[in-house]
Amino acid sequence: MRNRWRVLAFDLLAPAAVILALVAIGVVLAWPLWWVSVCSVLVLLVVEGVAVNAWLFRRDAVTVGTDDDAPALRLAIVALGAVALCAAVVTAYLQWTLPDRTFKRDTRDVVRVASDLAEALATFTPNAPTASLERATALMVPDRIGAFKDQYAKSVADLSAGKISTQASTLSAGVEALGSSAASVAVILRVVQDEPGKPSTHAAPALRVTVSKSTGTWLVVDVSPLNSR
Amino acid sequence: MWDDQPMPDQDKVAPPGSEKDRDATSAAATDSREGTGAESAEHGPRLAVFSRYGVASTVLAVISVVALVLGGLIWKSHRDDAAERAYLTRVMQAAADWTGVLINMNSTNIDASLQRLHDATVGDLNTEFDAAIAPYRQVVQKLQAQSRGQVESAAIETVRHDLGARPGAPRDVVTTKLPAMATRTDSVMVVATSIAENVGGKPQTVHWSLRLEMSDVNEKILVSGLESIR
Repeated sequence: MRNRWRVLAFDLLAPAAVILALVAIGVVLAWPLWWVSVCSVLVLLVVEGVAVNAWLFRRDAVTVGTDDDAPALRLAIVALGAVALCAAVVTAYLQWTLPDRTFKRDTRDVVRVASDLAEALATFTPNAPTASLERATALMVPDRIGAFKDQYAKSVADLSAGKISTQASTLSAGVEALGSSAASVAVILRVVQDEPGKPSTHAAPALRVTVSKSTGTWLVVDVSPLNSR
Repeated sequence: MWDDQPMPDQDKVAPPGSEKDRDATSAAATDSREGTGAESAEHGPRLAVFSRYGVASTVLAVISVVALVLGGLIWKSHRDDAAERAYLTRVMQAAADWTGVLINMNSTNIDASLQRLHDATVGDLNTEFDAAIAPYRQVVQKLQAQSRGQVESAAIETVRHDLGARPGAPRDVVTTKLPAMATRTDSVMVVATSIAENVGGKPQTVHWSLRLEMSDVNEKILVSGLESIR
């Protein structure tokens, strides 16, 4: 019975674990050509080892698993299986788990950044005309801030002259598309405009906010109306 | 069969007390105990001692089992995440398709369009479809126009603030409950533009900002709620 367990563990399960781990790494990596090549060679070596082991059993009635003179070899085989399985787990963690977590975190982050910027962009107070601008520019990529400030100054000139204030809040926002370093977010705002001596007016503009990731932070690249026609 | 066969080293004559002799004669000895002859000779009965090979092999075997379990969990988690993303993509596509029919309704195809829209609804929206769709039907019939619409954007709604209706204005909301057969419901915001060309009139541009509740009913994605976002 002892030898049966040894054969099962060392002669059958250990090489099977190695092959399973190699194939699993291939699945995780989506079988790039280099891994197809490496995996083929390694699996062939394992199969050869199993074949030699079987041949030795027929000749000497002993296998690696049942040979009492080779405990170190058995340990090496178990170690090989363990290393292969651990390598597969680490590869899966790096290729699957981390990107999945990043995707979920990015989904929240891009919507938050886009929503904050859209609100800052559409909010204006005559008493503090640069307050929203500063909030907005803090969320933008540096090389777009200059152009954005020029555009903002033109659009708020009339508001400032007429003492008109606007207050924007996000009604709805969602990710249109999300990649590892770029994303597009749709934001629908509720903008309330107050003009002295007139009733408040409401509007619900829809914006597309394009964001990109630089040095680990999502920043806004562009804002455009969704209903441009 | 291995139990019945002597090990190779059992056939050999080994000096009494040697490690091979002990290995061959100890039927109860396991692999983990071999190689400890020297230690057991010095420290007493060998049954109480595991060889360092045996201990190391056991530890590695446990690590392998843990790795297998972890790998299974990672695979399941990734499969679930990938399935979720694929599902949400289907949801957005279904919402865009449904909205596409809605915004391309003309006075000539209104009945067929409404039937298609009705067929893709479920729950309260399905039972109260005529009431829910009445504002849109009225627009189409009133304009008597050829309308061409285009979906500008569709996104799974991740931020939603109910800021209340404008003072004094009735909310254009179709309240829906999760249909009994639905396993889940997701909100999709759809922004679309349609241009209605009246006979002899000026083309009118209509901006649509809609919230669609998309429910999974027997793996079919149906619209269970429709609301205008304003």
